Amino acid sequence: MVIKKPGHRSSLDDANFDALRDLLKPHIESFDHMIDAGLKTMFIGIKPLEVPHPTQPTTLKISMDNPKIFEPQKERGFSKSRNILYPFECRQAKISYTGTFTAELCFQYDNGPIVREKFNFGQFPIMLQSKLCNLRGASPKKLVSYKEEASEVGGYFILNGLERVMRLLIMPKRNYPMSTVRSSFSERREGYTDKAVVIRCVRADQTSVSIKLYYLRNGSARLGFWILGREYMLPVGIVLKALIDTTDREIYVNLTSCYNEKYEKGKGAVGTQLVGERAKIILDEVRDLSLFTRLQCLQYIGEHFQPILQGLKNESHHIVADAVLRDYILVHLDNNFDKFNLLIFMLQKLFSLIDQTSVPDNPDSLQNQEVLLPGHLITLYLKEKLEEWLQKGKRLLLDEIEKKGATFEFGRIADVKKVLEKNHTKGISTAIENMLKTGRLVTTTGLDLHQRAGYTVQAERINFLRFISHFRAVHRGSSFAGLRTTTVRKLLPESWGFLCPVHTPDGEPCGLLNHMTRTCRVTSFYDSEGNIKDYFKIKLSILNILVEIGMTQSLPKIFLPGPPEVLTVLLDGCIVGFIPSTEVEKVVAHIRELKVSSAAVIPNDMEVGYVPLSMGGAYPGLYLFTSPSRFVRPVRNLSIPSTNENVELIGPFEQVFMEIRCPDGGDGGRKSPFPATHEEIHPTGMLSVVGNLTPWSDHNQSPRNMYQCQMAKQTMGFSSQTIQHRADQKLYHLQTPQTPIVRTRAYSEYSIDEYPSGTNAIVAVLAYTGYDMEDAMILNKSSVERGMFHGQIYQTETIDLTEKGGKSDQSARVFRKSKLDKPCPSIDSDGLPHVGQMIWPDEPYCSTYNEVTNKTYLFKKKGSEPVYVDYVAVDTKTKKNLNKVNIRFRHPRNPVIGDKFSSRHGQKGVCSQLWPDIDMPFSGTTGMRPDLIINPHAFPSRMTIAMLLESVAAKGGSLHGKFKDATPFRSSVKKDDEESGSKSASLVDELGVMLKEKGFNYHGCEVLYSGVYGTELTCEIFIGPVYYQRLRHMVSDKYQVRSTGTIDQVTRQPIKGRKRGGGIRFGEMERDSLLAHGAAYLLHDRLHTCSDYHIADVCSICGSMLTTTFQQPRKRPVREIGGLPPARAPRKVTCHACQSSKGMEKVAMPYIFRYLAAELAAMNIKMTLKLTDGVDI
Amino acid sequence: MEGASYARMPRVKIRELKDDYMKFELRDTDASVANALRRVMISEVPTIAIDLVEIEVNSSVLNDEFIAHRLGLIPLTSERAMAMRFSRDCDACDGDGQCEYCSVEFHLRVKCITDQTLDVTSKDLYSSDHTVVPVDFSADPSSLESSDGRGIIIVKLRRGQELRLRAIARKGIGKDHAKWSPAATVTFMYEPDIHINEDLMESLTLEEKREWVDSSPTRVFDIDPVTQQVMVVDPEAYSYDDEVIKKAEAMGKPGLVEITAKQDSFIFTVESTGAVKASQLLLNAIEILKQKLDAVRLSEDTVEADDQFGELGAHMRGG
Repeated sequence: MVIKKPGHRSSLDDANFDALRDLLKPHIESFDHMIDAGLKTMFIGIKPLEVPHPTQPTTLKISMDNPKIFEPQKERGFSKSRNILYPFECRQAKISYTGTFTAELCFQYDNGPIVREKFNFGQFPIMLQSKLCNLRGASPKKLVSYKEEASEVGGYFILNGLERVMRLLIMPKRNYPMSTVRSSFSERREGYTDKAVVIRCVRADQTSVSIKLYYLRNGSARLGFWILGREYMLPVGIVLKALIDTTDREIYVNLTSCYNEKYEKGKGAVGTQLVGERAKIILDEVRDLSLFTRLQCLQYIGEHFQPILQGLKNESHHIVADAVLRDYILVHLDNNFDKFNLLIFMLQKLFSLIDQTSVPDNPDSLQNQEVLLPGHLITLYLKEKLEEWLQKGKRLLLDEIEKKGATFEFGRIADVKKVLEKNHTKGISTAIENMLKTGRLVTTTGLDLHQRAGYTVQAERINFLRFISHFRAVHRGSSFAGLRTTTVRKLLPESWGFLCPVHTPDGEPCGLLNHMTRTCRVTSFYDSEGNIKDYFKIKLSILNILVEIGMTQSLPKIFLPGPPEVLTVLLDGCIVGFIPSTEVEKVVAHIRELKVSSAAVIPNDMEVGYVPLSMGGAYPGLYLFTSPSRFVRPVRNLSIPSTNENVELIGPFEQVFMEIRCPDGGDGGRKSPFPATHEEIHPTGMLSVVGNLTPWSDHNQSPRNMYQCQMAKQTMGFSSQTIQHRADQKLYHLQTPQTPIVRTRAYSEYSIDEYPSGTNAIVAVLAYTGYDMEDAMILNKSSVERGMFHGQIYQTETIDLTEKGGKSDQSARVFRKSKLDKPCPSIDSDGLPHVGQMIWPDEPYCSTYNEVTNKTYLFKKKGSEPVYVDYVAVDTKTKKNLNKVNIRFRHPRNPVIGDKFSSRHGQKGVCSQLWPDIDMPFSGTTGMRPDLIINPHAFPSRMTIAMLLESVAAKGGSLHGKFKDATPFRSSVKKDDEESGSKSASLVDELGVMLKEKGFNYHGCEVLYSGVYGTELTCEIFIGPVYYQRLRHMVSDKYQVRSTGTIDQVTRQPIKGRKRGGGIRFGEMERDSLLAHGAAYLLHDRLHTCSDYHIADVCSICGSMLTTTFQQPRKRPVREIGGLPPARAPRKVTCHACQSSKGMEKVAMPYIFRYLAAELAAMNIKMTLKLTDGVDI
Repeated sequence: MEGASYARMPRVKIRELKDDYMKFELRDTDASVANALRRVMISEVPTIAIDLVEIEVNSSVLNDEFIAHRLGLIPLTSERAMAMRFSRDCDACDGDGQCEYCSVEFHLRVKCITDQTLDVTSKDLYSSDHTVVPVDFSADPSSLESSDGRGIIIVKLRRGQELRLRAIARKGIGKDHAKWSPAATVTFMYEPDIHINEDLMESLTLEEKREWVDSSPTRVFDIDPVTQQVMVVDPEAYSYDDEVIKKAEAMGKPGLVEITAKQDSFIFTVESTGAVKASQLLLNAIEILKQKLDAVRLSEDTVEADDQFGELGAHMRGG
């Protein structure tokens, strides 16, 4: 019977990995954008460097332009032919996958002509499957020919042969003023309260500057921003006045516009009477400084910031102030009017927070968060590195002028270029590479980021699920890991649908390391067609539409009224106008409609954050976001009738204020005034990819699903289909995996069958022999012998002769076998092992020969088990001699007692016996013996009902020759087309019938007979196939035994550490327990005999054990009597202090005691022992 | 010691016999004997299987151990196995397992030279002994669709890949390794004894009868279309799942049917891997069982036991 499985493909041509690829789009798209446009935008953001000649009146202006990164190519010294570098070569040769990064420097002398010079900035790391990757666009078949996985998804970097992924990090939402309450604010300075409005402003080149608007106890406000590690606080009035030409009245009216007596304490009113008084205080402050005009304010700011800002020492105060306003205050806006308006808005929000007419925004909620993408981080890090490079170049130029004087021609670009090229241009790309290699930022400004390390992690390929999870993981930031409070780790309802509630690790990183749900995406610079979005056009069209449907545009000198009459409209943190609150619902509905329709110019991932009027709820307004790196997810918009085009992408900010119902056809208990406007597409959309693989996870106790998510990522499976081309440190591989019979839809959708990770084992649930107690499990010996759970570990050793050692004679080393030393069968004449050869522990497998010193060095295999040589790869780059070799070993790992296994329901266990087949219980009718026995006690307290369902379903499925769909939440989906809809009253009834049809018990039980006695077991036994995974924790990697062995030099006690053959510490608590048992002899054995047993000579006269010395027997002529060997002279010990050898006693003691005596003696403390024979103490 | 003999005379009646399948009845003995027979058939009857593989060239995608393991699991025709020696106590070759009395040599030399994937199967194995060859299922007409006479697949080769090896097959038993087990499945069931309480049954309506009959997942009972009486169609289909008894209780008619297992008759099902014919498997098993009993009887311990246990000891020796 040929069973066509759901996700089956007959050849590579019909393989479809689109759903899989979509999962890591955030990574690839952000990198693509960096290459396409991000670098260019960033270059515009780099301020041109001005180098004035110290003596001559000429000034050289250097700006950067035309960044270009090339596809990775091989370095080939002389031949000019293009050699494409493929990722697999990098993995094997342990090099980085990089492309050349060049840019042009534009030189201009005093408004003269611009001269462009090309600079090479080194080898820039390239993300796999990005636009520059040589694998991009290759079909699965082509990928296989490039020695990659057919489904190679990319999204990571290869650095020194290691695959590293950039971690997605949670960031505060950009360009959204957030009201915050934090006790540390009040400690800033005297008079500060704990309340502020914080906004993280992001420029077009992704660099960001956060500013805070603090509230002071006297009613005023301060604008705080950071320059080079110091925070500066400016009275907000000065900033307001400095931004535009305005009057006190205008500011006052603007600020108080949100207060209207008519609506006081009504719904949605945010202003109170106090606003006016605070406005007065703010204005008075400025007046007290006798600053009246804009020019005065600018002068004031400039005066104070001139010494702080670099490169503006000689400029006028006015220019300095402009620079401060431009570079530090609300940097996402480039218009002072917009900045003024937004500042007014922030003040209103701050006052409303103080007056408790609105609640603070929760910074831990996903509602106010976005994500930091790889391309963006690299862009902003690169920007800083380039700016540093330019500054350093300037210094170098000035030094050169000073040093050489007239001989250095400042006016000649060639000379200038020569100086700049000395400035380690290649270091730019190296800095990026190092950042990716270590995950550490080396920065002076901090880049407005809260952590310095942990930006990248290694993409482990323990199995495919582990690998893919790296790309879906979202970390909260390492600064939160040390926090004592649990608030940041809490699962908040705002993250519904975006972050998986199930897929987060236990323990230390719990709640900090989350995973995006299956459907969650991240907005990018690309629209759905793959074109770069034109934000200017988008903004215009959105404005047009908004004005069309009733928005009053904000123009200079027009006062901004506030809620509840009208709602302010912010588009990406820019106040664009206001809409009457009566109209706003209509407007929102209209925008949503336009958003969904493909024809409109409104991007489909725009977030329409409509915060409605409320009694002291969130600060109302209409917040529109079109920015990249926001989370979005698809839901169905019910107001749009068409069946296809009603999927709307929503964000976490707007979701909170939306009515989204479950697709079960009900209304979710909603009241009629708030009908559902949206509907979830499928309930499984709330789970991550890994969470989606648990069959019927809705029938399990929730922690079990969490455990399964962890265990799924540590199963041994098919980690890679290209093992023969890989050189990973360690790769786990299951020899004969199977695809599960009971499977969720995610298996086919994400092509999990390409990387299966378990076996359908026949599991009987009974207490048999007692070897299945306490989560132990009995494996059928014959099943194991037939290949069940067989696997191996691939381990690669790289021997690189060029880097080893550090001695001067490293070039003289070659791979060669020694001709002189004793023959070594495992090594061939080229110094390398034979493929297929078995290597025992401590056997040499590779030999190098130093031609200068004539010495051979043998590489010996460490470990405790014999291994096979799987593969030997040599580096053929240099033709003379080999100097780099990868030797891959294969550790056979067939199941043994102590290995760990688990089902897909968080039920893990350890193999306790390999039980003979004939002793296993058998079924009278079919003769079937189980592969595996688990104890029934595993179920009552853990309540993993889905495992029972899986067993029954898999039994039915295998009897009928069908795969069984186990997608969870089936009952929560409307059944319009499902044929099984009518008959499935409950899942069990559907499954039971399948069994009964084939003559099996409805409930999945069978009568079994004892394999030993042949008699019927008293109970019917629940038996059926369950998909079991083999976990990577194996005893062979863990067992630790020692009788005697290496000891510590100082203490003479056994050393620790499994690798070095050490022991396990018998510590204080262990000692206590033995004492409590009164097991004195055992205690003595453990702590003394088997540890640092020592016999010391003690002088009973002075009581010292340190002064005793061993007298060397004088060399006397040996008297041989009758050919007998001389009797050993008795050891003679004397005491130095007493100058006698009388009263010497031998005392057994722990050596550490003698050490203690010595240490005390070093401190001038003498330790005396009083010796008695134990009779009269 | 003159007492009555406890020896019973078990009877075997063969019901169905095919090369790789057999169904027979075993009567007049008890569970211990039946189970012993089952256990011996699975794990003590010797067969020949590849045990030692010397790989000369392997450029296939599978690693050496994997191929060796696969080769080991190929069933070889093992009629000779009973007469062969275990290589561990073979005098002719000093136990190194290389002589004709205890081993059979196989060769496999395959290289793919076409663009089509080449399947290396058990048919590519060349045996040094024509009586010990991989089991051939292609002669069996029932397995037409699965294989077009190509045998058991070992590995697939693409162009340029090669596999060359020498393998030595030895005699062994399933206890040592599952590859030596000649039985795919051996199972037995107690013959059921079914009594329908006719009076009580008649108190049921036809509807209820049908419901009761359908409650058994296997077709044990049926209703006579003419007399509308419930009758036992196939007692051996009963799997002791007690479904009908539970059903009767649920219907308020406990004791509607009484089912007991006959403690002394067993129905065996034997499926062979093809290494030994199913009938031969049974005979070999009995032979081995006898040998084992002989070993017990003749061992020193048994004589001691004889003194110790008196009559029981004598009985153990077959008295």
